[in-house]
Amino acid sequence: MSVFVLSGFGGRFSWQLHRGALLLSVVLCATLCSIIAASLMSGSYPLTIREVGQTLFASAPSDTAKTVVWQFRFPRTLVAAIVGALFGLSGAILQNITRNPLADPSLVGVSQGASLAVVAAIVVFPEINQVWRPVLAFVGALAVAALIQSIAMQRTQGATMRFILTGIGVAAFIAAITNAMLTYGNIDQAQAALGWLAGSIHAVGWAEVWSLSLCLCILVPLLIWAARYMSVLRMGAEVATGLGLRVRFARMGLITLSVALAAFAVSAVGPLGFVGLVAPHLARRLAHSGVGQHLILTALTGAVMVALADHIGRTAFAPIQIPAGILTAILGVPVFLFLIVRQSQTRQL
Amino acid sequence: MTRGAMLSLPVVLAGIALAFAWHIAVGAKTVPLGTVLTALTSYDRTIFDHVVVMDLRLPRAIYAVLVGASLSVAGALMQGITRNPLAEPGILGLLTGASFAVVILVGFFGSVAPVWIPLLAAVGAATTAALVWGIAAAAPGGSTPLTLILSGAAITAFLGAFIALANLLDQESFESLRVWLTGTLSSRAPAVLWWSLPWIAVGLVIALAIARQVTALAMGDETAVGLGVDVARLKALALVSVIALTAASVAIAGPMAFVGLVIPHITRIFVGSDYRLIVPFSAGFGAMYLLLIDIAARMVLAPVEVSTGIISAILGGPFFVWLVRARL
Amino acid sequence: MTLIATKLDSFDVKRVVPTSKSRLTVKNISVGYGGAAIVKNVSLDAAEGALTILVGPNGCGKSTVLKAIARVLQPMSGSARLDGTSVHTIPTRTLAKSLALLPQGPIAPEGLTVKELVSQGRFPHQTLARQWSAEDSHAVFAAMQAADVAGFADRRVDSLSGGQRQRCWIAMILAQDTDVVLLDEPTTFLDLKVQVDVMTLLRQIAHHQNRTLIVVLHDLNIAAMFGDKIIMMRGGVIVDQGPPDDVMTRRNLARVFDLDAHVITDPASGRPVCLPVVAQ
Repeated sequence: MSVFVLSGFGGRFSWQLHRGALLLSVVLCATLCSIIAASLMSGSYPLTIREVGQTLFASAPSDTAKTVVWQFRFPRTLVAAIVGALFGLSGAILQNITRNPLADPSLVGVSQGASLAVVAAIVVFPEINQVWRPVLAFVGALAVAALIQSIAMQRTQGATMRFILTGIGVAAFIAAITNAMLTYGNIDQAQAALGWLAGSIHAVGWAEVWSLSLCLCILVPLLIWAARYMSVLRMGAEVATGLGLRVRFARMGLITLSVALAAFAVSAVGPLGFVGLVAPHLARRLAHSGVGQHLILTALTGAVMVALADHIGRTAFAPIQIPAGILTAILGVPVFLFLIVRQSQTRQL
Repeated sequence: MTRGAMLSLPVVLAGIALAFAWHIAVGAKTVPLGTVLTALTSYDRTIFDHVVVMDLRLPRAIYAVLVGASLSVAGALMQGITRNPLAEPGILGLLTGASFAVVILVGFFGSVAPVWIPLLAAVGAATTAALVWGIAAAAPGGSTPLTLILSGAAITAFLGAFIALANLLDQESFESLRVWLTGTLSSRAPAVLWWSLPWIAVGLVIALAIARQVTALAMGDETAVGLGVDVARLKALALVSVIALTAASVAIAGPMAFVGLVIPHITRIFVGSDYRLIVPFSAGFGAMYLLLIDIAARMVLAPVEVSTGIISAILGGPFFVWLVRARL
Repeated sequence: MTLIATKLDSFDVKRVVPTSKSRLTVKNISVGYGGAAIVKNVSLDAAEGALTILVGPNGCGKSTVLKAIARVLQPMSGSARLDGTSVHTIPTRTLAKSLALLPQGPIAPEGLTVKELVSQGRFPHQTLARQWSAEDSHAVFAAMQAADVAGFADRRVDSLSGGQRQRCWIAMILAQDTDVVLLDEPTTFLDLKVQVDVMTLLRQIAHHQNRTLIVVLHDLNIAAMFGDKIIMMRGGVIVDQGPPDDVMTRRNLARVFDLDAHVITDPASGRPVCLPVVAQ
C-alpha cells in the first residue's frame, strides 16, 4: 500500500500519510529551490550559481552582487513563492467547503474586495501607513465573502452554481468601483495602485517578506488544525453534521481562514488570478492524498507556479517586466477550461 | 398586447428624444436645452454653443444611441437563442474577443484604417463565440448557463491578459487605446462611425426579420422544429446579427459590458415574451439607457469623467446577481 | 476491541429477536422551516435490533422527521431522545459516536477512494493528534466487509455504479460504529435488484448487529418486504404505525396515498404486497 501511518509517543500521535504525496512534496521543494536559484542568478547583472551561493551563505564576491541579491532578487522571489502558497491554500479551502472545483478567490470577488479596500485607502487616504494594507485587504475581502455567502446561500438548492455566478457578478461590480476610484484619484496614486492591481511583484522588499512570513506562521497551524474539519465538510453539510461536525461554525471559520490567506496575499502583490484555482487541482492530479497532505502539496505547487511566473515575467521580455498576474492568467485559463469540460462529467450522477 | 405596445412606442421615442437632448446639454459647460434645440434645427457656426453641440456633443449622443441599441438587440437575441437569461455579448466574452482582435492588429500595424476596424472586431467576436460555445458544448452537461458563463469569463480573462501584455510591450501604440478598452463614448474618429453604420444596419435588419422565429425557439429546439422553423439556419442568422452588432459597438465604444444583459430583461417586463416586440423595444430602451448612463458618467464625479463602461458595470453587476438569484 | 468486531462474530447467529427496548424515542416533535411547521406533534419510537421504516407521499414530512432526529434541523417543540437525553443537548461530536446519518443522495468529493470515504466515518472517534489508530483500521475493515465493498477498496468512488456507491456510503456509516443509524431514501434511483440488495444489507445490520435503524423509503412494497415496523405519515402527522401486516391495509393506503390497492400476502415471505387497482 502507498499509505502508511506515522505514529509516535506510544500511539498518542498518529497520522496517516501517502508515500507518493510525500515524495512529490520533496520534488516540489527541490523545484522551488531551483527556481529561486535561477531567479537569483538572472537579471541585468547575471551571476553564477557559485556567486549566488557565496552571496547567500558566505561573503559576497562583490558589493553589486550583494545588493542585487539581498536587496532586490531574494525578497522578490521569496514573496512570489509565499504569495503563491497563500493563494493556493485559499483556493483549496474555498473549493473544499463550497464543494465546487471552480472556486477561486479571484474569480468570486474575494480578491477584488481586498483590492478595492486597498485602492480606496491609497486614493482617499494617501498618507496611510503600508502596515495597514493587510488589515484593510482582509476587511474588504471578508465583507465580499459575507455578501456572496448571504446572497448565494439563502436557498440550498443549486447553491454551488449560484455561489460562483454570484461571485462573478459581485467581482465585476467591485472591479468597476475600483476602476471608478482610480479615475477619480490623483494620477500618481492611481499609477501606484495600477501597478499593484496587475499582480506585480517587482516593488516588494524585506518588509513584505517578514509580514507574509508572519501570516504564514499564524495561519498554517490553524490550517493543520482545520484540515480534519475540512475533510469532513467536503462530504456535504448533512453528512458532516451526521459525523459530528458543527457545520455552521466550521464553515464560517474556514471561509474566514480562506479569505485571510487571499487577503494577505493580495495586500502584498495585488490580485493574482487563477493560482488559487489551478494549484489545488494540479496538486491533486500529481499525487493522491488526504486533505492535510493535499494542503501541503497545494501550497508548494502554488509557490512553484508564482515563483516561476514571476521569473519568466522578469526575464522573458527583459528589460520590460511582465506582471506575474498576466502570466498566471495566461497559464491558468487553459487549466480552468479543461476543468469545466471535465468536471460536469463526474458531477453528473 | 401588441396594440398596447404600439401605443407605447411614441412614449419610448419621446423618452429617447428627451434623453438625447439632456445628454447633449450636459458636459463641462452646460448648454441650455433651448440652445441645444436651436443648434440642431438652425445651426449657426458663429455661436460657440452651437459648435460645441454639433461637433462634440452630438456625435457622442449618436454613439450612445447606436451602441445602446446594438448591444441590447444583440443581448436579446443571445438570450433568445441560447435560452439563457444571463447571455450577453460582454459576459460571454464576445466584447473582449472583438477588442482583442482590434488591439492585436493595431499593435502589429501601428494604426489601422477605420474601414477595417469593424471587420476585425467581427472576426474577433466570431472566433470568441465559436470558442466559448465550443468549450461549453464540450462539457458533458452541454451548454448550460453555468458552463457558458464560466467559459466566457475564462476567455475574457485569457484575452484580457494578452491585451495587458500587448499594452506593456508596446506602450506607445496603445496609449490611445487604453481609455477605449474600458468602454467609452468619447474621442472616436467619426470615420469609424461611418464604417460601423452598415454593420449596425445589417444586424438590426436581420434581428427584426428573424424575431418571430426566435419567439418559437424560446419553447425549445424540438418545438420550434415542429412549428416549421429551420433551427440551424435561424441560429446561424442570429449569430451573424449578434456578431455584426457587437463588432460595430466595439468599434465605436470599446467593450461596454452589461448593457446587453440589463435591457432585454427590462424590455420583457414591459412587452412580454414576443421577440417581434422585444427586438425593437430593446433597441429603444437600450439607446435611452446608454444615453442616461453616459450622462451619469459625466456627472457623478464631475469635472472628472468616468468611463461609461464603468458605470454600466456598476449598475449591471448587481443586476446580474439579482438575475442569478431570481432566475436560476 | 471495537464493538463491530464482536458483533461480526455473531454474524452466523440466526436472527436476534428484537428486544422491545427502544433507545430512541421521539415525543411530540414539531419541525419546520422558517416558522411553518411541516411536521406536527409527531411521536414515535424505534426498537433496538429492528428496521423501522418511514413511508408516506412526497412532502409528508418523513425526511424532516429524520433530519430532526439527526439534529440537522432544530425542532420547534418536542424532543428526540437517545437513552432519555435530548439529541439536541448532547454535544454533536459525542452524539456522532452513537447516532449516524446517511442523507439522501450524498456526493463524494472528486477522486476519493472507497477506503478513504469509509475512513471518514471514523471522524468522531479521532482527535487532532491521533488521526489514525489500529481501532480505526479495524472498524473500517469490518465496515467494508459488512457492506461488501472491500473488493474495490482502492477504486475511486466516482467510478462506481450507483448501487456500489450507495454501499460505500453505508460502509462509511457502519465505520462510524453507532448504535443508531438513520438513512434517508437510501434506495432512490437504484435498480430494483440493487434496491433489494441494499435493503437486505440494512436488515442484516439491524438484526445481526443489534442496531436501531430508521429508514425513509418511498417504495411501499420494499418497505413492507423489509421493515420490522412501518410508520405511515401524511401531511406532517403519523397516520398509523406498527408491523407491516397491520399497517399495510387497503384502508391505510387509501388514507395515506389516495391509492386504491389490493393488499395480498406474498406466499414466500408472508409479507403484505400492495397491487394498485387499475380501472379497466
